[in-house]
Amino acid sequence: MGTEETPGGENRSRELPAEVQGPPPAEPVRPAEDAAPEQDEQHQDPDGKAPRSGRQRLAEGLWPPRVTRPQLIVALLLFVLGLGLAIQVRSNNDSSALRGARQEDLVRILDELDDRTQRLEGEKQRLEDQRTGLENSSDQAEEARKQTVEKERQLGILAGTVAAQGPGITLTIDDKKGSVEADMLLDAIQELRAAGAEAIQINDVRVVANTYLSDTDSGGVRVDGRKVGKPYRFKVIGKPQDLEPALNIPGGVVQTLEKEQATVTVARAEKIVVDALRAAKRPDYARSSSQ
Amino acid sequence: MIAVLGLVVGVVAGLLVRPEVPAVVEPYLPIAVVAALDAVFGGLRAMLDGIFDDKVFVVSFLSNVVVAALIVFLGDKLGVGAQLSTGVVVVLGIRIFSNAAAIRRHIFRA
Repeated sequence: MGTEETPGGENRSRELPAEVQGPPPAEPVRPAEDAAPEQDEQHQDPDGKAPRSGRQRLAEGLWPPRVTRPQLIVALLLFVLGLGLAIQVRSNNDSSALRGARQEDLVRILDELDDRTQRLEGEKQRLEDQRTGLENSSDQAEEARKQTVEKERQLGILAGTVAAQGPGITLTIDDKKGSVEADMLLDAIQELRAAGAEAIQINDVRVVANTYLSDTDSGGVRVDGRKVGKPYRFKVIGKPQDLEPALNIPGGVVQTLEKEQATVTVARAEKIVVDALRAAKRPDYARSSSQ
Repeated sequence: MIAVLGLVVGVVAGLLVRPEVPAVVEPYLPIAVVAALDAVFGGLRAMLDGIFDDKVFVVSFLSNVVVAALIVFLGDKLGVGAQLSTGVVVVLGIRIFSNAAAIRRHIFRA
């Protein structure tokens, strides 16, 4: 406030002498001044001049600056006041509205924060559960997809729609005399299946569940309606140690064929590639009942 | 003039130095500032009236601050701190306004 009044006081003090005579306007309000406790001392004017107006006194106090005891004391107190003012204003601007807040307000704010924390905790818990559920379900979906792919591959090998490779044997039947008939080849296929053959191919025809064999008029054999040339080469994937003895047992496939004057050779191999394919045929009537 | 300088220096120092106020005193600082303002306005009026005395000013300044803080402290202990501090601010505000009116009459003659 002092800084604001300084220029006004100075300006007015210049024009003051013209109206010094005017009655001091402070007189009527003086009795109401019991609020200000400074009224016990009547005079501070060091020089016994004629009574001056308030403006004059203010102007004298402001200019020229005099280092007197009252001025210093008031300056000290005003310094304290300015300090407190600045601190208070700054701490209010500090965005920490909690500083200087009352105890009950703080308790209320704390309660509200607790409630809010609990609400948010609950929400967090709910969302985490949801996330866990989603992750599980997506994991399950991924797992199911993997299993489906795996199963498709296995079924594809069985159905002959995909190529297969693995250990196994090759069985070559060289039928020079044309005496080998379809039922003998079928016996060989059954024997191989019984011994655990997983994929079979005769020359370039894949042998699957619904493969059929038939004799031709000219002494050859048809597999699935396609004529296969001689010699008949079986490529079989399975455990060689099981497949070979199964063919060679006394009275078995090899002996029966040799009785018919055919030359039969069985050879084990670490890697047999069964790459003849069959088109996947969509059944007309049968539908999966698992859904 | 020195007094005005003191106020300015105080404000600047408070803004620049950023002193830490002890937590015990903190709730009473605003009330103390208002009480000190009241004392300053009273002192200014007394100066304009020609009855200013530095001893009286010092005593009134300090007692104003102490009494205001004491009232708020007491109110806090009694559980009516908010109401009492409002009351103190109202009373001090009325006094500041009446003193300001007297100062205005001195300076502006109106």
